[in-house]
Amino acid sequence: LGKKMRMVRPWHRLPREAVAAPSLAVFKARLDRTLTSAAPPRGGRAVPGMAGRLLRGCVRAAGLCPRRAFGEAAGLRDMGFSQEQAQRLLGVESRLSPQRREAAVAQLLLLGLNAEAILGLLERRPELLRMPTERLQERAGKLRGLGLDGGQLQRALIRCPELFTLPRKRMAAAVRLLRERCLFTAEQLREVLWTCPNVLLEEPHQLHHHFQYVYFRMGVQQKEMVKARLFRMPFAELRNRHIFLERRGLYQTPCKGQTQTNNPKLKDIIQLSEKDFLANVAHSTPEEFEVFKKLLAREEEEKEEEEEEEENRDALYTEEDEDFDSEGSKPARE
Amino acid sequence: MAALGGCGPVVAALLRRGPAPGLRPVPRRYLYKKKWAATAPRIPCTRLALHHFDVNYSLQLKDLWPSVRASLLCEQKYGALLNNFSADDYVTQELELMNATDFVSEGSRKAQQGAAAEEVRREESRPQEVPGKVRTVMQTETQAEMSPPLRASISSNIKCYTYPRGDITRFRPARQDSLGILDYYLMDAASLLPVLALNVQRGDLVLDLCAAPGGKTLALLQTGLCGHLAANDVSISRTKRLYSILNSYIPKNIRETVSVTSYDGRDWKQLEGGTFHKVLVDVPCTTDRHAVMEEENNIFHKRRTKERQMLPMLQLQLLMAGILATKPGGKVVYSTCSLSSLQNECVVERAVDIAETQFNISVHVEDLSHFRMLFQDTFSFFSDCRLGELVLPHLTANFGPMYFCKLHRV
Repeated sequence: LGKKMRMVRPWHRLPREAVAAPSLAVFKARLDRTLTSAAPPRGGRAVPGMAGRLLRGCVRAAGLCPRRAFGEAAGLRDMGFSQEQAQRLLGVESRLSPQRREAAVAQLLLLGLNAEAILGLLERRPELLRMPTERLQERAGKLRGLGLDGGQLQRALIRCPELFTLPRKRMAAAVRLLRERCLFTAEQLREVLWTCPNVLLEEPHQLHHHFQYVYFRMGVQQKEMVKARLFRMPFAELRNRHIFLERRGLYQTPCKGQTQTNNPKLKDIIQLSEKDFLANVAHSTPEEFEVFKKLLAREEEEKEEEEEEEENRDALYTEEDEDFDSEGSKPARE
Repeated sequence: MAALGGCGPVVAALLRRGPAPGLRPVPRRYLYKKKWAATAPRIPCTRLALHHFDVNYSLQLKDLWPSVRASLLCEQKYGALLNNFSADDYVTQELELMNATDFVSEGSRKAQQGAAAEEVRREESRPQEVPGKVRTVMQTETQAEMSPPLRASISSNIKCYTYPRGDITRFRPARQDSLGILDYYLMDAASLLPVLALNVQRGDLVLDLCAAPGGKTLALLQTGLCGHLAANDVSISRTKRLYSILNSYIPKNIRETVSVTSYDGRDWKQLEGGTFHKVLVDVPCTTDRHAVMEEENNIFHKRRTKERQMLPMLQLQLLMAGILATKPGGKVVYSTCSLSSLQNECVVERAVDIAETQFNISVHVEDLSHFRMLFQDTFSFFSDCRLGELVLPHLTANFGPMYFCKLHRV
């Protein structure tokens, strides 16, 4: 009861339409939206978990159980799904128990996703339904902690549902890399994350290489990288386009300290479709670019082979050296 | 060797061109230990070369330059010059199975079709002709007034296989037949065009003034028509390479008819003037492709600046020597592997001028535009060449650069 008492004050501050909800799930969703959008009480942050905590408290207090009151489809409908959407949703992982389904969906609703987005997400990633709600909640909290909220979080999740299933360590490593090695500011990181959430899925060393290539080889600063949505394009494709421009004499690595260049904007290199890129930036033909890509791939392959050979040879030398050391230099040491 | 005389090591160095695709078919850079200390040049020669080309060729080629630039910086394409002296009969089949085609025979087929179409047109303009006579008339006519395309390709026994446009497959290394003779020679297919333009006829006395490393000389021998072939190159070490190629491709009895010499090409006129029917002057040049790709032996090295600036002069002297070595009525083909008009058209213009004024020899530039028509499927030609023809490298057909111009000594 003490908990209930503490919950009363924020309850009274809620807008009327949030309180007068037709069902629990809709109420949850509205409550969450209100909590995240409204100015947080007493200067604190709008804690996303708050809605859940609040609700759980309320539900327990009222002795309600949402599952008993409605049929499964009806339950989903009450959460804000249309009849057709509810049917489709029930088709995903159809053997799953209704409780778990509803719990997961409710959790997603709580994240601020709308019905259509949830449906799309679950149809692409049915395994999300099987995840324990705590994990969904924890991950969402993590993403919010990185500064993603409301619409941004929703867009990031729709673009990249793997964010839920990604191991926590991997995610932390990628974030650390972006902040500490690549020196993105917190604000830039937030923008990178909601525009290109797939960046978190990349192997850290590949991500680092990706960044360094653009920073050193192409001479582009973090600010422009963020604006150009750098990580949306796979690295191999970016390199194809950049080297193509470079060999055509249309791109030059700026010298140290040089700020003015004639290089095309990173945005134009990354965001245009291949056809438009060739027509407007590279001024070339698809035939040429096709051949170029093949040639570059072969060059790269051979360079790697050569390096491997070199390494093998070096290894051989060091082994010989060691042999020599062990035989030749022993007496000297003694 | 004594004949090298006063020209000294400078010329020897001048005539040294980049490593041409020789016995080693797959282009491969040799490994070497990099110097990192003070001796390493601060700006690589390839960068200097590229900068130089950016400045000059963007004016000369305009919108085409970016495409040519990218092609120069990518792997070049090769052609397999078939060795007619090899006993290996399966090579052709093998190559055709790999989808390669002989661009020379394709060109000549096109020429024949073109000629036939012309005939038909002529026939139609003379409707009173009796049908039975048509064939004989046609035959005599083709022999009497062959259209230039037909003439260009009819004599040639040269076969050179290339992969189609956009295909980047490589040829396997050349193989020996039972007698130890290699089955094909891998070279830039565009290098054959000057030889085709020379159009050797049976019994012609032919001079290759700057022969090493021997690709074009080998092609000249493949025609099987040379009455006598003189191959000269100023550099002794490079003539050694010429010898080694002749050794691995040509049977002994034919090899012995080739006379290989090491004179300075510029002094040729003093030795034997006005004796050859056909002269090939494939001069040393900036070797554009080599200059932007390889650091070694790069003409854009700071130490070779003077030498590079003197190149057009040397080229002019060599072409003059070539013209003077030709019989009246003979042909000279001048070729370079550079895009620079300063080393191409300008040299030809100056040479024609000097021949007229100083030697009182009249020289005409022959029109080779039919080459453009015949071989446009294989090579991409530059359409705005004032004199002669220029093959531009293109990513889908990465041959060249190759400039060639045919002169007729009246």
